[in-house]
Amino acid sequence: MNLPRIVCPPDPGLLQSFVDRTVLVRVPSLGEAAAAAARVGQSGNRLLCVIVESDSPLADLDFQEDQKAIPLAVMAPSTGQFRHLARQLDLLRSFNLRVYLPGHHAENLVGLRILSSVGIYTCAVLGNGSMDWEALADLMTYAVLERVPHAAIEPFNFIASRYDPAAYLEWGGIFFDDPKTYLHLDGKGRVALSPAELRKKQFIAQSIAEIPEPAEFPAIRERLQAWRQYFLDNHPCASCPGWKICLGRFAGDGLGNQGCAGFFLEMLEVARQFKNRQTQAEEFRIWQP
Amino acid sequence: MANILLTTKCNRSCPYCFARQEMSGSPGDSLLSWENLIYIADFLQASGEQQISLLGGEPTLHPDCVDFILYLLERDFRVMVFTNGALSPSRLAEFKDHLTEVNPERLTFTVNLNDPVQTPASREEMERIHRFLSVMGPWAMPGFNIYRLDFTLDFLFDAINRFGMKRHVRLGLCHPVPGQRTGYLRMEDLSRVVRRIYSYRQQFDAFRVSPGLDCGFPLCQFNDEELGWLHRHRGLIQFGCGPAVDISPDMSVYYCFPLSRYRRKSLFEFDSLAQIDHHFLKIRQEMKAEIPGVYGECDGCRYLEEELCAGGGLCRVLNRFVDEAPIRLPEIEHELAKNRLSS
Repeated sequence: MNLPRIVCPPDPGLLQSFVDRTVLVRVPSLGEAAAAAARVGQSGNRLLCVIVESDSPLADLDFQEDQKAIPLAVMAPSTGQFRHLARQLDLLRSFNLRVYLPGHHAENLVGLRILSSVGIYTCAVLGNGSMDWEALADLMTYAVLERVPHAAIEPFNFIASRYDPAAYLEWGGIFFDDPKTYLHLDGKGRVALSPAELRKKQFIAQSIAEIPEPAEFPAIRERLQAWRQYFLDNHPCASCPGWKICLGRFAGDGLGNQGCAGFFLEMLEVARQFKNRQTQAEEFRIWQP
Repeated sequence: MANILLTTKCNRSCPYCFARQEMSGSPGDSLLSWENLIYIADFLQASGEQQISLLGGEPTLHPDCVDFILYLLERDFRVMVFTNGALSPSRLAEFKDHLTEVNPERLTFTVNLNDPVQTPASREEMERIHRFLSVMGPWAMPGFNIYRLDFTLDFLFDAINRFGMKRHVRLGLCHPVPGQRTGYLRMEDLSRVVRRIYSYRQQFDAFRVSPGLDCGFPLCQFNDEELGWLHRHRGLIQFGCGPAVDISPDMSVYYCFPLSRYRRKSLFEFDSLAQIDHHFLKIRQEMKAEIPGVYGECDGCRYLEEELCAGGGLCRVLNRFVDEAPIRLPEIEHELAKNRLSS
């Protein structure tokens, strides 16, 4: 098992407490991204990206030319008004950037579509609130099957392109919610399994040093095998046709996500269509020299 | 080309309004959504279209009008906005802040101006229009709808010079709307309209303003001298009735405002603009098989057969169907009855 990537604040002491790891640093504002990226470099670790957890809409952020080289994951509450965004679009398209918006706000489903259609890579963060599954299905269909080229909207493009009818698919890593791939540290170095658990201060270890073999660490192992419990409990999710790509992600969260089965069934169908298109494109290629 | 209706609301009440029927048939708060705008932009882009016109109602009443314009420009469309120019101060401030850096070759406002004497507006409305033109003049060109024979054009030249507008005038004929009482011109009067436009030749030439004729002008109503003059300004002149696709906020597609209730479809029923054009062509052929053109002489006319002239607007043909006894093809009569267009 590869060592999980570490998501943590850009504290120099914390960064120097481990070496040769792939690191993502969290900052509260775009202005701190460059310094945070530099600190990772100085610590002897590898930077995957800087996660900007902004309270301001995307359109209100002040992107600068010198941030182009930094891989960015910008988490914003909304897109803001297009008229403000329009002035920065040329610059944004030249960035190594993915924009994350909460998927449980109806306006963000529109915002994701707008951004994608003008060439900005995006991701809908799912699972933090009650979802409008029908609107999400519309967005998913647009993301995967729309006729005009546009930037990817995750997690839909990820799911469609990696869907395998014979295997389960874990896609929480798209928004850093997969303990096999990402572990989250707070400022004191305490380790949580997901962004939500970090916010709730539900830690599994006091430092990353306590987890030399992640695959053998009980809390991580338990989490990675948690899906089995659905079958042991005979949970409705276990017999849901959408299970293969949902894995119970929306089970029993009390957020009124009853429409999830319909959504994931549609997602499966769209993924199959996407695969068929790719296969047909291969089949209909003319001879190659 | 496609016309997208951003809203069915309008803040003016022109006596010749050919959109009134369509507007009154829609919910008062009917607004185009972002999702539908993106769908339309994708649809048109996939069809190879590069120009979009925004209409209403009054399109600037849509709360996201500025954002929609910027979005469509971002999608590489050239954008034409048909407006009355009577913007509220706050909306005008938005335009000033966000649209005055756009290249005027990519964005044009066709400002529908009424003759201040013949079709007077309130003082406040006139002030709003003048304020709009003071700010957006270089992006604007005047449009004028002719619905009476004693029309004048002097005020258009005045506006062009005063506000630095684009040096082109869009001249539209007011056509009848089947089943509606709106101001329009009779076909037998069209040659007088042409003479009157031509009487302004000196002003057009002196101010270097080019005249643009909208749909429904029959070729036979122009003499060679008038055609020569128009040709010098505009090159190839169209005397057709080949409409832009009108797409309403509810995603209905129809031939044009006067024909908005005839063989109306949903945009979602089509895969491309070519399919819609084909649908329109069938409408045209079906109606023209009954009445080739608006004049008796249209039957057998060489220019109509060679498609140099459409024989007047299709709306006038439909208007005749509506006014006469039900003697046409059953498909036509059925469609008229279905949409309560029969006399």
